[in-house]
Amino acid sequence: MQKIVIIKYGELSTKKDNIGFFLSTLKNNVAKALEGLPTQIKNDSGRMFVYAAEEYLNAVVAKLQKVFGIYEIIIGYKDDSFDIDIISQNTVDLLKKQNFKTFKIETKRSNKNYELTSMEVSKKVGASVLKNIKELEVDVHNPEVLMEIEIRQKEVLYYSQKIKGLGGYPVGTLGHGLLMLSGGIDSPVAGYLAIKRGIRLEAVYFESPPHTSIQAKNKVQELAKKLAVYNASIKLHIINFTDIQESILRNIPNDYLITIMRRMMYRISERIAKRNHSQILINGESIGQVASQTLTSMKCINAVVNIPVIRPLCCFDKLEIIDLAKKIDTYETSILPYEDCCTIFVPKHPVINPTLEKCEEYEKNIDYEALINTALKNAETILINANDETNKYSDIL
Amino acid sequence: MIYLDYSATTPVAYDVLDTINKVTKEYIGNAHSIHSLGVKSAELLKSATSQIASIFGVSENELIYTSGATESNNLALIGVALANRKKGNHIIVSKLEHPSIYSICDYLQKNLGFEISYVKNDEEGLIDFDDLKRLVKENTVLVSICAVNSEVGVRQPLKMIRQIIKKENFGTIFHSDMTQAIGKISVNLHDVDLASMSAHKIYGPKGIGLLYKSSNVNIMPIIHGSSKSSEIRPGTPPLPLIASFSKAIRLANIDLEKRERFITLLNEKIVNHLSKYPNILINKTKYSIPHILNISIMDVMSETFIHAMEKRDVYLSTNTACSSGELSTSVMAIYNDLQRAKHTIRISLSHLTTTDEVNKFLTYFDEEYQKLSTLH
Repeated sequence: MQKIVIIKYGELSTKKDNIGFFLSTLKNNVAKALEGLPTQIKNDSGRMFVYAAEEYLNAVVAKLQKVFGIYEIIIGYKDDSFDIDIISQNTVDLLKKQNFKTFKIETKRSNKNYELTSMEVSKKVGASVLKNIKELEVDVHNPEVLMEIEIRQKEVLYYSQKIKGLGGYPVGTLGHGLLMLSGGIDSPVAGYLAIKRGIRLEAVYFESPPHTSIQAKNKVQELAKKLAVYNASIKLHIINFTDIQESILRNIPNDYLITIMRRMMYRISERIAKRNHSQILINGESIGQVASQTLTSMKCINAVVNIPVIRPLCCFDKLEIIDLAKKIDTYETSILPYEDCCTIFVPKHPVINPTLEKCEEYEKNIDYEALINTALKNAETILINANDETNKYSDIL
Repeated sequence: MIYLDYSATTPVAYDVLDTINKVTKEYIGNAHSIHSLGVKSAELLKSATSQIASIFGVSENELIYTSGATESNNLALIGVALANRKKGNHIIVSKLEHPSIYSICDYLQKNLGFEISYVKNDEEGLIDFDDLKRLVKENTVLVSICAVNSEVGVRQPLKMIRQIIKKENFGTIFHSDMTQAIGKISVNLHDVDLASMSAHKIYGPKGIGLLYKSSNVNIMPIIHGSSKSSEIRPGTPPLPLIASFSKAIRLANIDLEKRERFITLLNEKIVNHLSKYPNILINKTKYSIPHILNISIMDVMSETFIHAMEKRDVYLSTNTACSSGELSTSVMAIYNDLQRAKHTIRISLSHLTTTDEVNKFLTYFDEEYQKLSTLH
């Protein structure tokens, strides 16, 4: 028997005509996640198998737990003998390694030509286990160990150890999106949820030096790296927003500062998205959280773009968002106390119900097209890799 | 030169020296400054700390840099004493500690009213578990027992000691001076609550050490100077020292076991050779690590012998460099023999020691010993 990792897909199995595309993307993503580990990956009717030397299997499982599109990760055994006595013996050998009192054997048979039915296999194997391992009992309702046997066309699989995968769709199967990434708690979580539904992300960050610091920029890169774990790598576009922000401060009434600033950010994001073949914008807005996230604010801000804006967190409570942020390990980074574009120059009383007319009227005071073009021209783009473990201090440390 | 005093201090490794130079020249910013030079330094500081944390399997915020093991011991003992005065005033230490531990205990006893108990050890140098169990009381705030003794090299089973302490009083904090253990044997910081270490014993620079402080333990700072109350050891981080310490820890943990096997061979060779002299006693128990070899030359004064060997360009010590000139408290604690404790010589070995050096050392040893022992 060979110890292997078996990947089960969840929602994917409902796809019909384009299932091939989903599976080949998943296979590529798995291969990318396992880069550096000596493994072999094979797709085979409804399952994906990862072959690796036993010492690497734990590392393989840990990496697969960060890949979307996987419903279950199974550590199992594969054998090519269909002889019922060998199947029984194999099962006994595997169960002997575990410490338990009650068990159940469950058989699935995709090889319908096999001489015994699933029930017959379970019965025979179960009897053999009872005979060969002392003091065991069968418990069909609530067994301590559920040993599953799959009789397939070319092989028999045995497994009792399953680990829940992340679910969702393989990243890249549902297109590309541009995440508006700030240094806060919400936007990384929004990005994570978009990746979960198969969207491959790029991100845009607005910096405003000297009002914002290098630490704030580093923090955003750190957040992007945490998201890159699920996305393989992330292209991060960094926009210098200083001139636009200062111009807004000088020319726009105080209560509309944030509204106009967000409109500028949306305009820039849309152009970056379209340049880079992203079909949508994604952000961390949540209804009502702050003045710029009321429905009327969203309407006024959204009005400047002609691209779908997806807000995965729009109906989440802040505490729910924090829980998710902790789960994906972005929370601790997000709460580092560095100012970002959205937290500097916050008016005392920002407008809660802005109107489009006023926005447009105020914006006449700024030659924003020129400013936006300059900002886009000076955009800095960096590729952030999740597996980028190369120590930049290798000569020092 | 034949240097056989590696337990007193070690030469700085070439690669480590390289780091000191590079960081001194290229990272001029104060890691606490908010400008880019400061940020650049802070990033290196974080990476250096994170490397140490990952080698020892602890969190970065559990590592506190100090000027060396003596300061770490001060911070650990006085810091715990100050933070726990309401809980009790009793501290337990072994009889095999570095002199700094005894000085601090003395200070705590005289100035803060602490009561100090000394746990017994058996004839192999191992802590007497029954005695320890008896000594840990409700008011015991701290137990300090070194991982490896600096004179005889006895290694203590820290995990078991911890279990005994925590069973008797879960609130008692367990500190271990690991200065002589780090880079020689593998240690598990999770066996203790606090651990002291120093760079210069592991081919790093002098002037930098650290205190591991488990996040579950509270201590009071003994040096003040920061506006941030969370900072236990304020001061500008000495980045060249910290980065090179981190590198030294990494390098010291490569091939730890292979090095230990090699040093064991050298140690055995010396022991076999010296065993032929009836007046030379080998102060080695079954728990001694091979890096530290202690002997008592009963018919020659230790200091005389050190100086005689020095003329042959061989460098040894009488006992720990911090208590030179006095008797070896560790040999006394294990063998309870005053003459034996007065005549000790410590030979400390390294993976840098060569077989050739050991052969030469033994030849010089024979010559000098025969000359000096016939004088009496």
